[in-house]
Amino acid sequence: MKVSVNWLREYVSFELPATAELVERIGAQLGAVEEVIDVGTKYVGAVVVKVAECEKLENSDHLNLCFVDDDGVTQNVNRREDGLVQVVCGAPNVKAGLMVVWLPPGVTVPSTYDHDPFVLEARELRGTVSNGMLASPKELALGDSHEGLLLLDGDVTPGTSLTEAYKLDDHIIDIENKMFTHRPDCFGQLGVAREVAGIFGQQFTSPKWYATPGAITAGDGLSLTVKNEVSKDVPRFMAVALKNVTIAPSPVWLQTQLSRVGVRPINNVVDVTNYIMLLTGQPLHAYDYDKVAGLSGGDGAAIVVRYPAADEQIELLSGKTIKPRQEAIMIATDKQAIGLGGVMGGGNTEVDQNTKNIIVECASFDMYSIRRTSMAHGLFTDAVTRFNKGQSPLQNPAVLSQAVTMLQELAQAEVAGEVTDDNHAPSEQPSVKVDADFVNQRLGLTLSTTDMATLLSNVEFTVEHDEQSLTAQAPFWRTDIEIREDIVEEVGRLYGFDKLPLELPKRDITPAPQDPLLQQKSKIRGSLAKAGANEVLTYSFVHGNLLDKVGQPRDKAFKLSNALSPDLQYYRFHALPSLLDKVHPNSKAGHDTFALFELSKGHDTTAMNGDAPAEIEYVDFVYASKTVRADAAFYQARRYLDALAYDLGVSLSYAPITKDLPLPAAAAYDQARSALVSVANGGPLLGIVGEFKPGVTKQLKLPKYCAGFTVDQTELLTASSATTSRYHELPRFPKVEQDICLKVASTVLFGELHGVVTQTLTDNKPENTTFTVSPLDIYQREEDPEHRQITFRVGLASFERTLTDQEMTGLLQRVADKAAETCKAERI
Amino acid sequence: MNYQNAQISDVAAQLTERLAGLDNKADILKATELRALYAQIPTLPAEERAAFGQEINALRQELEALVAGHQEQAEALPAIDVTAPKDVNAVFPELLPSTLGSKHPLTQELETVLDIFYRMGFSAVESPEIDDDYHMFGSLNFPEDHPARDDYDTFMTEQTDKNGKPFIAPAHTSTMQNRVLRRYIDNLQQGKPIAAVIPGRVFRNEDLDARHEHTFYQLEGVYVNKGVHAGNLIATLKTFLQAYYGKELQVKTQPFYFPFTEPSFEFALSCPFCDGKGCHICSQAGWIELLGCGMIHPNVLKEAGIDPEVYTGFAWGFGIERLVMMKYGIEDVRHFESGKLDFLRQFS
Repeated sequence: MKVSVNWLREYVSFELPATAELVERIGAQLGAVEEVIDVGTKYVGAVVVKVAECEKLENSDHLNLCFVDDDGVTQNVNRREDGLVQVVCGAPNVKAGLMVVWLPPGVTVPSTYDHDPFVLEARELRGTVSNGMLASPKELALGDSHEGLLLLDGDVTPGTSLTEAYKLDDHIIDIENKMFTHRPDCFGQLGVAREVAGIFGQQFTSPKWYATPGAITAGDGLSLTVKNEVSKDVPRFMAVALKNVTIAPSPVWLQTQLSRVGVRPINNVVDVTNYIMLLTGQPLHAYDYDKVAGLSGGDGAAIVVRYPAADEQIELLSGKTIKPRQEAIMIATDKQAIGLGGVMGGGNTEVDQNTKNIIVECASFDMYSIRRTSMAHGLFTDAVTRFNKGQSPLQNPAVLSQAVTMLQELAQAEVAGEVTDDNHAPSEQPSVKVDADFVNQRLGLTLSTTDMATLLSNVEFTVEHDEQSLTAQAPFWRTDIEIREDIVEEVGRLYGFDKLPLELPKRDITPAPQDPLLQQKSKIRGSLAKAGANEVLTYSFVHGNLLDKVGQPRDKAFKLSNALSPDLQYYRFHALPSLLDKVHPNSKAGHDTFALFELSKGHDTTAMNGDAPAEIEYVDFVYASKTVRADAAFYQARRYLDALAYDLGVSLSYAPITKDLPLPAAAAYDQARSALVSVANGGPLLGIVGEFKPGVTKQLKLPKYCAGFTVDQTELLTASSATTSRYHELPRFPKVEQDICLKVASTVLFGELHGVVTQTLTDNKPENTTFTVSPLDIYQREEDPEHRQITFRVGLASFERTLTDQEMTGLLQRVADKAAETCKAERI
Repeated sequence: MNYQNAQISDVAAQLTERLAGLDNKADILKATELRALYAQIPTLPAEERAAFGQEINALRQELEALVAGHQEQAEALPAIDVTAPKDVNAVFPELLPSTLGSKHPLTQELETVLDIFYRMGFSAVESPEIDDDYHMFGSLNFPEDHPARDDYDTFMTEQTDKNGKPFIAPAHTSTMQNRVLRRYIDNLQQGKPIAAVIPGRVFRNEDLDARHEHTFYQLEGVYVNKGVHAGNLIATLKTFLQAYYGKELQVKTQPFYFPFTEPSFEFALSCPFCDGKGCHICSQAGWIELLGCGMIHPNVLKEAGIDPEVYTGFAWGFGIERLVMMKYGIEDVRHFESGKLDFLRQFS
């Protein structure tokens, strides 16, 4: 919202501080300021002059030789003896006697000020020196017109600086629109002026035409009927017909006032509607009466406000033709659409040079309907910005009345009938009663009801109060005051939030509960990082191709309907495919061997948690090495998972995958070279560890040595929480160690043999002893692939005595016997 | 497969047999018999062509499937003993050196931030990455079609919830606010506050560039108790920021608008890198606008079953990326989700 400081000055009754202070206070008490533009710097040196003489320049078909009178104010310029300055001008409308703007040598052309500034000098045109130039609206950045000079009107005298003549010594303060989402009144200069008074503790008084508008005196001559069929979405529709309008450029003061806040002047009628909108926040629309009447069935103009007919289309002022959404608000005649209500007028009833009679509409539209229409058709106009905040219908009479007054003055309009007012809006503003304690408690203040009443009545609330409480009724233009908290906000803001007492909340010292899963996440990160792995974060959305590559079903993945690109179309099942996708780029970047992991939330359309999709918390890991290695990468990934489980205090068991796993999270894994991971001793399934299918390896350009795991963090947490201490008492007597090497058929699993060894030791160890079993080696002779030799180092220690080697030898003999019996093992 | 046409049936048998002997299985698809069958089609009576052609195609597909099956088999690696800690005749696998490992800079920072809030007495709960319209908007006092929704360009799914509305990729961690208020509501009866922070990954439908990510991390906070006021909010955030930056700071607020807080503020701190003098990090402003906050709207409290007559509270939210980028001078927000080791290993 662009706010003109000079415009504010017209409405406040006190001296505004310097712009810097004003901006700071607006920021602290009204809304964030995005930008402050100093308009005046653009016009330094531009001066009002009278064209004293003007005649055709010899040797040119269009240039004129002018002598201008600046009352001698401009320094350092060559003058004729009589003090006039010679300027060559090519504008077709230049002639003696006009008041125009002269840009002397040394002055920057205002339209070039912001980009690539062009500084004028005295230079020859067709052999004649021109001291600077006479300027068009476009060159002055005051409009689009470049056909001729800007002709000054009204009471201006030669030698006045342009900035002084038209209040161009202005600052434009651009306040973020977002702040005013619930303040439609602040989309008008008047509303902001009121707030500025309020935050400086000054009483604001709205102009009389706004606060207590007079009725528009009815006239006659034009017939206008209005039928509002959609009062739910159009709670108020006011319109009046005006006749004998003279379409002309607006006076320069009005053009410059619009230009300062970035609105392009068009003609007096359109400019007045824009001016009133900029002032009050209420958009107006002017129709060409005769065009509307021509499109109506009867003699006069018959306006119907309705929803679109099936397949109805409308060409808008912008030239675009749309088929309005089913519940858009259409302004139509009894035969044909003439506007998209609250959004944009129709091209068929536009006010133009030939317009003689007009209809001025001042209506209230449902903010939600306007937003839906705006979004559906991508139409974002000044009217939409204001209407979708919900303008108060109670200000329409004042707005329309002032518009008519201005059109009478500036376009010689005459009222040509009764004012139509189809009004379904509530006529009364709600009152809010609130205790001073309620307000003070929420702000940490100790204001009296009198203090509060003053703050509120400064911005024209009607307030009654006693010592305990006050009753506040918002003025008719406010739409945001409904509940007591609204009064709290208003009082706090006008008082100044920066003046609130800074006190920390008081509470007892009960420790706050911690989320165990979040704690575990931190541990997982710490553990894997300690093991040399790097945590990555990748997008939660993936390309459908990535799902295809790893064999995950697209139809079970949540799919975005408005994805930025196909790269981000599906919610992933888990992070593993994204990790695999990051392997090749890192290899290519020169990293030979690395491990990546990510903690992710997985989603699957078949898994719901109440009304919302369930989220499965995964930890995914991948290890990759370009170095060619003979052993299987599986064992490397498993090594990492073991290290992680150890840090979390969980013991794992690994089992071959014997039947097909239909889970998306297992899809990438090569089942022949992967294991199901469970909590040891028959605990719950945690996930899968393994190498990837040859197809996945090929598609994602993974190195041969690559494996990973996918584990459910929630199950891991359950297991980890159930674990008691793994501490073992330290025996005081020395440990005896011996190795045992067992040759078994290759079909005997290591785990099976290890189980037998452990169980036999448990069953046969001497009393009060403790043992350890560590795998030392797994060996296969090249000429005998049918067998493996597995060596364990067994340690044994007693808590009460020194053990002998013979005891150990005897124990291992039992192990060997048992292994022979159960696994057909041969001791080597 | 059985073929109706005797000729095709013969060729099928021949080729299947030949396939077994071929070194390069794909060669079977170039067999002259197959080509000869195709060549016959134009010579047939028109009414027989379609059926004949379909059978040849079926044969071709059968052969292709066989070839693919053989290829897969040929590429398949032998099964391994997954119960063993290492491969046969191999050394035990070793972990990479600790010095190479790293936590992601964003999660590191999040842990640092959480640690301060833990010390201040807050609990932490993560927000979801997919949610319904009710939690993202409805429970937070965003009426349907309210212009405030314009500030949240949310991703939506094709799948819908029980009300027929798309699921949403949350655009703010406030999507968790209602659940957190409900989770800790018993605290209030016991005379204790609800004090929680909500870290989470959030999404905005905007194009990527060096300063804009569609995926980022936020930390939300809520505090509810009897007698909580706006001064408490500002003091709490100031205290946190001073702990985080380890120095005294100035703070200021600007009124703002959020549907779920009233009053709402934008909160700025004096630049901790130049002590407010003006530097490249604060764009010479001396202030850094860091977060949005406000007093929780009574409708949001009501929606969570809390009586706004009795209890009041405040909430805030800020982004984590910004903190990390300022801290290290990271120039491009896209590095965070790039998965580049050259980036990640700088934070080990």
